[in-house]
Amino acid sequence: MSALLEARGLSAGYGQAHVLHGVDLTIEPGQVVVVLGANGAGKTTLMRSLAGLLPYDGELRVDGETVGAVRPDQMVARGVSLVPQGRGTLTALSVTDNLRTGAVGRRDASGVQEDIDRWFTTFPRLAERRHQVAGTLSGGEQQMLAIARALMSRPRLLLCDEISLGLAPVIVQGLFETIRGINEEMGTALLLVEQNAALAMGIASYVYLLEVGRVVQSGAAESFAQSDSIRRVYLGY
Amino acid sequence: MDIFLTRLISGMTAGSVYAMIALALVVVFRSSATINFAQGEFALFTTYVSWWLTQHGWNIWLTLVPALGLGFVMCAVAERFLIRPVRKRDETAVLIVALALFTGLNGLAGWIWGSDDKVYPRLVPIGDDSFLALGGARLYYDSIFVVLSLVLVVGALSLVLNKTGLGLQMRAVATNPESASLCGIKVGRIFMISWGLAGVIGSLAAAILVPVLPPGQLGLPGMFHMLIFGTVAALLGGLDSVKGAVVGGLSLGVGLAMINGYGSFFGGSISLTVALVVIVVVLGLKPNGLFGSRRLERV
Repeated sequence: MSALLEARGLSAGYGQAHVLHGVDLTIEPGQVVVVLGANGAGKTTLMRSLAGLLPYDGELRVDGETVGAVRPDQMVARGVSLVPQGRGTLTALSVTDNLRTGAVGRRDASGVQEDIDRWFTTFPRLAERRHQVAGTLSGGEQQMLAIARALMSRPRLLLCDEISLGLAPVIVQGLFETIRGINEEMGTALLLVEQNAALAMGIASYVYLLEVGRVVQSGAAESFAQSDSIRRVYLGY
Repeated sequence: MDIFLTRLISGMTAGSVYAMIALALVVVFRSSATINFAQGEFALFTTYVSWWLTQHGWNIWLTLVPALGLGFVMCAVAERFLIRPVRKRDETAVLIVALALFTGLNGLAGWIWGSDDKVYPRLVPIGDDSFLALGGARLYYDSIFVVLSLVLVVGALSLVLNKTGLGLQMRAVATNPESASLCGIKVGRIFMISWGLAGVIGSLAAAILVPVLPPGQLGLPGMFHMLIFGTVAALLGGLDSVKGAVVGGLSLGVGLAMINGYGSFFGGSISLTVALVVIVVVLGLKPNGLFGSRRLERV
């Protein structure tokens, strides 16, 4: 069986600035993978290339099929959905419209409505604010909305770029419990890029360590957590 | 009082036309953050087609079908094959392509149909008694028709934007193209459709305005002033707001009618000067216009 998503020698950057230098990465269906790395290691660039927002060199395969130059909507159609850093909610649209927009690729209107209700049950605070314009939500609520919206396309892989950024610890805790639940219930694979390494490692089964655009170490999460150097630098204990 | 009413009516009529052109610009700007300076020339071209068909015995109303359809196709094709390829480079390139389209389309119309003015039929015929007496002023049926057309266009556009799946996608792209694409929206397709819709609105506006506003005939330079007034109306309203385009267009129309009417000591026509002043004041004091949400940084 082929991997859900596979990157081989992935390089990307912005104009003359090369950020990623030949990254190899594999995500199996239903797996939770974490990418650790310092600021500027290329984590966000990696996520943006995987989501189709950035052109890349190298090979990207979904379900064993090479995708080539790809747009974000095509990645969504292949089941890969990104929760971008800084949330990227549609601030001028209502909460409900944000969720409906997340499902534009779907044709099953009743299924879409079921999913909207489902995420309103998962995130009661979004339900309370369903008619409110997204730009008026708090940071935590916007992050919930961004996650729910990305899930509206029923992705098989959810890319989460720093979903804890700028949020209160108690809210971050809740978000992680939610995405862990989504992974367990729906079998949605997760690729997490996180500053909050301890929290991310807690739900991950596999870890990649990114340094200046290269994967310098990778392995099962348990063995990673036992490595002293990793613990000191990324987990802080 | 009656002279005031007369000026108010003529201002509303012209303002409705400005508002329609502003709407075309707004629909484009909302999608791709570009001001389509060739919008007026697209409309001029389709109006020539409409006129040419009337010369072949077509009913004027019937000619609107191919004219508006052509407006959609021309603008959509221009976006896809001329604007989008250069958009990746920078905004200046887009502006230059739009200017090239502006002169190119005008030249093409002149080459095909000649530079002499054409008599373009009125959609609503006007006779000696085709008006309602209103407090001493004459409210001509064609004025009513122009204002009603605006109401119709705004109604249809609002319906599309707020009640359809396409409208949801258009609003999403207007808010943030990148986030919209991450939702699975084919942003390029929305650009194309938006340009096409703008082409339809522009073509309709031109067909309505040519016989109503001076010089009253179809000529090559005819749409230039209209584009300026439409741009001012759109700027005043905020470039990405439907409501803003309507308010901007009507206030510009009425404002100019009053200034030209009561300020005759300024000399013949100071409309363009006023328009320029409005542009400078809006850009200087309130770049987002009255109802705009997006900043003007990319213009």
